[in-house]
Amino acid sequence: MAGLLVIHSLEKRTKDSIIFPIFNLTIEKGDITAVYSTLNIRKVLLEIISGKTLASKGEIRINGVTIMENRNLFLSGVVLAFYEDGIYDRLKVRDYFSFYRAIYDSNQTIDQLLRITQLQDKQNQKIKTLTYSEKQRVRFGKQLLQHAELYIFEEPDLNVDVETRQVFISITRRLQHEGKGVLILTGNLESALTIADQVLRIDESGLQQIPTEKGESDSILDDPMLEAEVQPFQLNKIPTKVNDKIVLFDPPEIDYIESNDGQSHIYSNGNLFTSASTLNELESRLEHFGFFRCHRSYIVNLQKVREVITWTRNSYSLILNNKEKTSIPLSKSKMAQLKDMLGMK
Amino acid sequence: MTFSMKRMYAIFLKDLKDLSKNMFITSSMLMPLLIAVLYSRMDELSIDMIYLVINLSFSTIGVFVQSAIIAEEKEKNTLRGLMLSPATILEIFGGKSLVTFLLTLLTIILSARLIDYEPSSISLIAIALIISSVFYIGLGTLMGLLTKSVVEASVITLPIIFLFGFSTLLQTLINTYPILSFIEYLPNVQLAELAKEVQLGAGIEDIWGYLAIILVWGIGIWLLTTWFYKKKETAG
Repeated sequence: MAGLLVIHSLEKRTKDSIIFPIFNLTIEKGDITAVYSTLNIRKVLLEIISGKTLASKGEIRINGVTIMENRNLFLSGVVLAFYEDGIYDRLKVRDYFSFYRAIYDSNQTIDQLLRITQLQDKQNQKIKTLTYSEKQRVRFGKQLLQHAELYIFEEPDLNVDVETRQVFISITRRLQHEGKGVLILTGNLESALTIADQVLRIDESGLQQIPTEKGESDSILDDPMLEAEVQPFQLNKIPTKVNDKIVLFDPPEIDYIESNDGQSHIYSNGNLFTSASTLNELESRLEHFGFFRCHRSYIVNLQKVREVITWTRNSYSLILNNKEKTSIPLSKSKMAQLKDMLGMK
Repeated sequence: MTFSMKRMYAIFLKDLKDLSKNMFITSSMLMPLLIAVLYSRMDELSIDMIYLVINLSFSTIGVFVQSAIIAEEKEKNTLRGLMLSPATILEIFGGKSLVTFLLTLLTIILSARLIDYEPSSISLIAIALIISSVFYIGLGTLMGLLTKSVVEASVITLPIIFLFGFSTLLQTLINTYPILSFIEYLPNVQLAELAKEVQLGAGIEDIWGYLAIILVWGIGIWLLTTWFYKKKETAG
């Protein structure tokens, strides 16, 4: 099988619960793919890749072998860039790079590396005196010294400054240009959509593609659920913009919509996306999907409402059935309408 | 994977630089030196007393420093990176042990100077010291792998420092408590006995028994360490 990384019908269960159900994923040369998931799934996935835990089913192949078959060959085909990977913080940046240059027998020059990571003026500082973002760039430098065809980054740009994010994005483009594969594991959808050409989501229901306008979807394989999802609903999708990309949402994915400064903010799974449509336009499109205009500046997906709270006789809130238990205002006039809809008198 | 001198040297250099900036660890070198200064005031030092200082250097530097640098790699999560890198176990521990070995030797030479110890045969004693250091550094490596942080390592090495540093003094108790007779076979006691023989003019043919016992300890501890590392590497 070709592909830098081939994940074949991988599944992980612990005791009674499924961490993730069977999925397939292949990373080819030149791919930049992000997988958006919870922390737990990400940790387990990385542990399986680095051989710390066994998968319940399926296998992961790098360089054509699994880690059990040939540990050295497997590991030589991948750079595992862990989140907050350990760092020798008493060393100077330059010494740190030359240490790993020798360990990985790299022919990249230190100066070139300092330029890529934009650490030239910090090269003689001890790493512990650097900021969080600069330390992250030191890690990028180390990762570039490791030569492998596939790079797996865990939360590469969490809480970093704009400069570091730019450095990271240009590193991913550089790797892509060199024909390497990049896989980003993140819990931040916005970051995934900004960096990657293709964004996938793994949760308890499996692997799904999050549609973006950019990039092709060649490398996701035969997941039947996925095909069913991508095809027929195009017309009913709600477009939102993330930087220069357009992301499409299925109405059931939306928790609620908030109007803010003439823009509509669409909240899905705890993340915010902006839409150019007005609330009125969205209301008319979404009405028959069970959405309800509960407030002048809110539309809520009634399927996701758990509770109606009465604060005073004139003030109400809707509590959603999500992790954050988001509360949404419900205006008095709309309360009556809602009661009607629910068949309460 | 082949053994690469370049990688081992890189690890050696990195740890040397790192250690030179780490006061917590380097200050432990002072303990044997301090005791050496105290003893140097006394007139007649028996070989037992001299080897108390030397064995203390072994257990504070060889065991404690080695375990601390390895425990720190674990604490800061950098050992994982090394384990996943092309560096082999021989290169990783070779580089680190070399740093500890040089520090141990330096401390022993300094403290021997301070207490005016002049063995009758420098070369025989040097051989014995080098073989001993193999054991102590191996023990330090194992302790480093067993612990998770520098603080934990310093706690766990305390009884070891006591056992190997002071057990020459416990020998007097053997007659009263025969159960303690295993102490005679500890590498530190063997080393002191060996030094006594050498001081009386013994040659290599008289002391090889002692050397062999110390060497068996050294080989044993490294086998255990390697087994433990392999187990960790493929844990799960």
